[in-house]
Amino acid sequence: MEILESLQQDIRLVDTTLRDGEQTAGVVFARHEKVRIASLLDEIGVPALEAGYPVLGEQEQECVRAVAELGLNLQVGAFCRARIEDVEAAARCGVSFVVISISTSDIHLQRQFGKPREWALECMSSAVERAKEAGLEFTVSAEDASRTDMGFLKQYYGLATELGAKRLRYCDTLGVDHPFGIYSRIRDLKSSLSLPIELHLHNDFGMATANVMSGLRAGAEGVAVSIAGLGERTGNSSLEEVVMGLKYLYGRDLGIDTTRFREIVEYASVAAARAVPVWKTIVGTNVFAHESGIHVDGVLKDPKNYEVFSPEEVGLERQLVVGKHSGSHTIYYKFKEFGIELSQEDASAILAMAREMAVDLKRALFDKELMYIYRDYEKKKAQKQRLE
Amino acid sequence: MSAETPPIPLEANWRELLPARILIDDTTLRDGEQTAGVVFANDEKVHIARLLAGIGVDQIEAGIPAMGGDEKKAISEIVQLGLPASILAWNRAVVNDVKESIECGVDAVAISISISDIHIQHKLRKSRQWVLDSVKESTEYAKSYGLYVSVNAEDASRADMSYLIQFAQVAKAAGADRVRFCDTVGVLDPFATYERVKKVREEADIDIEMHTHNDFGMATANAIAGVLAGAKYVNTTVNGLGERAGNAVLEEFVMALKYIFGYEMDIKTARFRELCEYVANASNRPIPTWKPITGSNLFVYESEGRAGGVIHDPTTYEIFAPGDVGLLRRFVFGKYSGPSVLRQKLRQYGRDIDEDQIPELVATLREKSIALKRALFDEEVLQEYEDLRRLGVNIWRS
Repeated sequence: MEILESLQQDIRLVDTTLRDGEQTAGVVFARHEKVRIASLLDEIGVPALEAGYPVLGEQEQECVRAVAELGLNLQVGAFCRARIEDVEAAARCGVSFVVISISTSDIHLQRQFGKPREWALECMSSAVERAKEAGLEFTVSAEDASRTDMGFLKQYYGLATELGAKRLRYCDTLGVDHPFGIYSRIRDLKSSLSLPIELHLHNDFGMATANVMSGLRAGAEGVAVSIAGLGERTGNSSLEEVVMGLKYLYGRDLGIDTTRFREIVEYASVAAARAVPVWKTIVGTNVFAHESGIHVDGVLKDPKNYEVFSPEEVGLERQLVVGKHSGSHTIYYKFKEFGIELSQEDASAILAMAREMAVDLKRALFDKELMYIYRDYEKKKAQKQRLE
Repeated sequence: MSAETPPIPLEANWRELLPARILIDDTTLRDGEQTAGVVFANDEKVHIARLLAGIGVDQIEAGIPAMGGDEKKAISEIVQLGLPASILAWNRAVVNDVKESIECGVDAVAISISISDIHIQHKLRKSRQWVLDSVKESTEYAKSYGLYVSVNAEDASRADMSYLIQFAQVAKAAGADRVRFCDTVGVLDPFATYERVKKVREEADIDIEMHTHNDFGMATANAIAGVLAGAKYVNTTVNGLGERAGNAVLEEFVMALKYIFGYEMDIKTARFRELCEYVANASNRPIPTWKPITGSNLFVYESEGRAGGVIHDPTTYEIFAPGDVGLLRRFVFGKYSGPSVLRQKLRQYGRDIDEDQIPELVATLREKSIALKRALFDEEVLQEYEDLRRLGVNIWRS
């Protein structure tokens, strides 16, 4: 299936579960959890991560240092506001790169800080100088870039380029970009800037992943992701959606071991005390659960009818669920799994009983309940035969 | 399609691309209920229909009459409420299905059939011509009873483009009022959606309805791409409820059009949280606290930078006010909090503090949040404050 043209450029993921993910209101990771999450990301092949926000305090610095000292293959970085003390705190943690970030939109500069645009340039320059002294690689980030005047954004990124930034980060801090708008803005930036552009996009209107894909189509080379999209408010673009979307929609395999997605999402979700919704894209347990007669019939004939990738690829299993919308095919196959071969007549009769029970219980049926129905049905059939 | 030359006009004023009027056909009661494991009671169906009509949804897809029994009863009951919305029933492209819909008294029907070769060959095991004949026959039958007809092109995203156009032309000739473009397995992106929708709408000269799935997280974005390409109708669900990863989300679509494109629909968004909670309870799928638009965590501020900005001026970090969707703004003290959050909390409870005591209290509270692995309850913040005042020293740090 080739609907979309493939993307050719190198694409670098940077995971921010441990920083933006943890910044989510109410979420705190323990040190052991931070270390485990970093190791898991390393094991599946994610190339870089932000381990935390060192200026928060000594405990956070210990966490970041612990991650940096694991000796992982992935590059370990830390997040800094464009302030000297932030960079100094990061430098004490042994990370190999820092993200230096400040708001560039007039709305933030004027209403939050009461400062002119030049102030943002000055803060960024002095923080960057400190990072250079410390020998750190640095990404320069424009917070609220999506609401920033394009002329000033180019000026800001231009200065960062001159100062020796490794890459430029474009933040849709409030998730207000739309796929065509961001395409247009990134393309415009690419036309005048030479450094790689990294996308950091939020999901406030449910479009984070779509915006990532549009930004990549426009030529961006990096994406900040988080496990299960964990992040402030509605979160960030999710690791699983970006990796699977790139692979299956755009033919771009990033070489990540996706078969462990379910495991990793489960771990991070428990650590963040946030259950994975069963309908979560890519990794929800319901993604490969088929109930409606039409869909089950289609999947049984050929999974490609309703599945773009197989459940094993993300560590899930296919389930046939018997409920109100099931058809007799589902019943037939379900019982075949139990080792019972039903006739068409039996399957139809059991289906009617199962549907009635599902409506009454207001949910799908457990396998056990199906077996109870089967036994009831067999009994009735035997009685009937005796009477005849 | 080339990644180099997107078909969309990039310097456009996006707002001007939108049709003059966009109508919502909500399918929470049909595709939403079709979700594996979800069953609505008839009373719940009726109540959801009332809520949808109450907030101003234009058309309600009430169910599948061909399933018989209870389902038909629920649909008939919804029809008899006389709501200010059109009531539509879903059908396969089969005359007998349409007959069942007519018996329910609905004013509109969806007539659905797969049009991709993969579905035609591997699921239906029929020919393209058979598909055209089926849709023609059932559409003409529905039209002979004066019903409004939305012909659904299932799996349109994987269908051959010229066949999709031919299908839409056949539907139109048979009397269909619109064609529903279904991205059944959720494999399009906004660019591909835009290109396909625009093409079929222009070539077949018929109104288009968007039906998008969220398998790769792009359902709402694709629905929006569809209306930018001129589709006038959008098939949404509350909470995005629907098969697998669900459908385009009613709340996201309406709010995105309003706040990203400046296109205001006649929908009472202040009742979104109420509607979403009801559907969440009835479907036994709680609203995640981080759900876009209606999650209870969206206007909860912990991190110092965000909280400081919002206390100063909400527009720094809020695109719409919490009341616009029936939520509240709250501040919590956690690991990422600082003086702004602390001052706000103390102000909220009418407590005073010396500025020079703030750094110490902030440090204590952060440590406590890390130790407890969560944000603090207000009572815990106040307790630390009282301890600091009473003892003059920080008992946790001694």
